[in-house]
Amino acid sequence: MPRDASTDKPLVELVNVTKIYPPDIVALEDVSLRIYKGEIFFLTGMSGAGKTTLIKLICRLETPTRGLIEVAGRDISRISPAGIQRMRQKIGIAYQEFRLLEKQTVLQNIAMAMEVTYASTKAIHARVDELLALLNLSDKRDKRTGELSRGEQQRVALARAAANGPSLLLADEPTGNLDPAATELVINLFRHLNEKNGSTIVVATHDKSIYAETEHRVMDLHNGHLSAHPNRAPRQIELFEA
Amino acid sequence: MHFLAYIVRQTGKNLRQTWGTQVMTLLTVTLSVLLFAFFFLIYNNMLRASARLGDDLRLIVYLDQEIPEQNRPEIEKKIHEFGPVEKIVFVSRAEAFSRLRAQLDKEKDVLNDLGPDFLPPSIEVYPLKNLHDLTKISQFSDFLLTLPHAAKVQSGSDWLRRFGDFTNLLQVVVLLSGVLLIISMTFIISYTLRLTVVSRQGELEILRLLGATSAYIRLPLLLEGMLQGFLGSSLGLGALYFLYQWTTSRFSGPGFLNLFDFAFFPPELTAAILLAGVALCTGGSLFSIRRFISI
Repeated sequence: MPRDASTDKPLVELVNVTKIYPPDIVALEDVSLRIYKGEIFFLTGMSGAGKTTLIKLICRLETPTRGLIEVAGRDISRISPAGIQRMRQKIGIAYQEFRLLEKQTVLQNIAMAMEVTYASTKAIHARVDELLALLNLSDKRDKRTGELSRGEQQRVALARAAANGPSLLLADEPTGNLDPAATELVINLFRHLNEKNGSTIVVATHDKSIYAETEHRVMDLHNGHLSAHPNRAPRQIELFEA
Repeated sequence: MHFLAYIVRQTGKNLRQTWGTQVMTLLTVTLSVLLFAFFFLIYNNMLRASARLGDDLRLIVYLDQEIPEQNRPEIEKKIHEFGPVEKIVFVSRAEAFSRLRAQLDKEKDVLNDLGPDFLPPSIEVYPLKNLHDLTKISQFSDFLLTLPHAAKVQSGSDWLRRFGDFTNLLQVVVLLSGVLLIISMTFIISYTLRLTVVSRQGELEILRLLGATSAYIRLPLLLEGMLQGFLGSSLGLGALYFLYQWTTSRFSGPGFLNLFDFAFFPPELTAAILLAGVALCTGGSLFSIRRFISI
């Protein structure tokens, strides 16, 4: 369900954020954005528009050149390295390039996310089985990820991001290698996390099929500038400006 | 509980992933400890022997004629004036003869043809226990030679000097092997951990992205170093103990080892060497962790 901006506090807030990569490549310019708790937020744009940069900034894999980024009300530039690590345990990130260990099994790859939180082996196995069932990968549990197709690897990366039932899930091009059936599974996973855990989901994508019919907020990044998606209802512009 | 289980499991995983290097590291640590402990054991025993010889030190002044009873206090006074001594014993010809007879025990018959006056009278001077300085012993000997009727002074200082020189040489060897131990252990552990870090580079990067804490990543590596130190030192000391047992049993009976009452390290010194090994390897791990892991 779309959230009401007037009553909710933003989980993520970017204020006039600019990111310039050396020597002078402007990835994001003066971007302001609020993402609310429990929201599913679609960030669209062409390749190179700055979607990945924005996601990296939110989890402090990159630092902004200018501007303020707050997560759960805290300025993340002021959080200690240990605090950032604790924060990342609560943020699930599915990378565009997957970042899986190809010599390790699907189970081991997904388990890693939970092991860093010192979860019990029993809880890890139960959660991995649940996620694999949701993503139709149960039969791949003990296969090395290097032996899987790109689409399957992408789903494993998503399962790992969802493993801890994160309060914020950042998915970078989560359906880039998926067929329509697998895309549907991923959307269902997002819904499941959003409805069952109250997770906030941020999806950076240029795959129209996953946001075309959505009632959730969709915004567009173009040459580092953020704007309401041209085909979305005016209400979204209000939310953006709120 | 889960935290500890993870740290231990992760350490096991690290060891398995680089087991070939780990075995080589363990061997190097073992040999380094063995080499150092071997020289240290010999040095330690030499020191003990040296202390015992110092305790038994006495200077014997052989006289060309016996000192009459009434002149003895004057001689004693002269000796005391030169330096403090533990005791002074005047040995007459008859007394010397009877001591020799007692020492020869069953073979005392060889003395039958010799008269009780064939041994010279002497003065035995027992210096204080703290007199280990060979120069002072030599000065004392020179002074004793100036006493009335003194013919010769036997101090054993030449032998003590040679023994002291050997002990000093051994001290240098122990120090060198100690330095070698420190360098080799810290270097090899640091190098091994570097290999572990390189072989797990991808995994460590992902762990960092997933929010692994510093403790989660660093503690297993630290534990790996500690474990190498503990196992290597234990094996090195164990090998030395085996060597010691083998040597003492094989060369039992009258001989060099019995002369020096050769003994293994006392338990507290063994524990200290073990702990030093663990500390060095842990230090090597820390150095590597700080240098190669940033989180």
